[in-house]
Amino acid sequence: MKMAFDAQSEVSDEALLVAYGNGDRAAAMALTARLAPRVMGFAARMLGGDRHEAEDVTQEAMLRLWRIAPDWRQGEAKVTTWLYRVTANLCTDRLRRRRGVGLDAIPEPEDGRPGAAEAMMQEMRARALDEALAALPERQRVAVVMRHLEGRSNPEIAAVLEISVEAVESLTARGKRALSASLGQRREELGYVED
Amino acid sequence: MSKTEQDLLSNIALDEIFAAGRAETPAPSEALLARILADAQGVQEAGLAAARPRAAPRPSPWARFAEALGGWTSLAGLVTATLAGVWLGFVSPDQLNTLSGGLLLPETGGTAIYALEDILPGDDGLAAFYEEGGQ
Repeated sequence: MKMAFDAQSEVSDEALLVAYGNGDRAAAMALTARLAPRVMGFAARMLGGDRHEAEDVTQEAMLRLWRIAPDWRQGEAKVTTWLYRVTANLCTDRLRRRRGVGLDAIPEPEDGRPGAAEAMMQEMRARALDEALAALPERQRVAVVMRHLEGRSNPEIAAVLEISVEAVESLTARGKRALSASLGQRREELGYVED
Repeated sequence: MSKTEQDLLSNIALDEIFAAGRAETPAPSEALLARILADAQGVQEAGLAAARPRAAPRPSPWARFAEALGGWTSLAGLVTATLAGVWLGFVSPDQLNTLSGGLLLPETGGTAIYALEDILPGDDGLAAFYEEGGQ
């Protein structure tokens, strides 16, 4: 979705956060336009595609960002890294509370638009991916989602998880192999027919 | 259950599924963005309100004392006058007597050269006051 007030695109997240902490309202709008979609996408992946819970997590993560703004220590951490870490922790808390609730309890995507077979297949693959991701251990899930869906670098993922880059590579590799295994069992359904 | 390599999805297929996932990433609704901005404004206003008392701290007792006397300039005047009084008391009172024309100190010890009425206006008036019983 586009937001008209993201006019400060050349300003860093950190500069905007400091400006917000000093009372600048426009900075809050720019930060929301820039960061809320990322948090929302990440949270949705972490929560098995549950849009409602992902919105709650997004609001809570952003609220924590607003609260820390006056005390933000410049140059110590990237705003996005801090925000991914907070979001990952919030998702983990919710997943633990949700323990015992199966994937069947996760609502179907509301957007059931009819369309071309390609669009339907894309939607089906995305949903299968959400289900396969939900079965991964949490740290593997964070690593795979950040690397392959959010496009973040290994050093940034290492900073979020507070582990080494090598450990991130190992987590990502194991996560991808687990996804290949679980999605491989649904290959025909997902349009990958054996020759 | 162990997996054979044939059970695994190829990297190419997995990349396609990741691409499908990226394309289907849910975006925040307008209502969510409005709630986030409302939170931002609320936190900002609460922070500014909390900062105000810190900007004007309660003055110290010493500062309030100085203010009650009329500020630091008045206090400086008071200190100067006090020191001048001490100094005048310390130096010889004879010089003051000279300046006052002999009114302040008796020339010979023991006998005052003026009575109370001498320094009160209208001695007749005062005598009349006494005679009338203070009415």
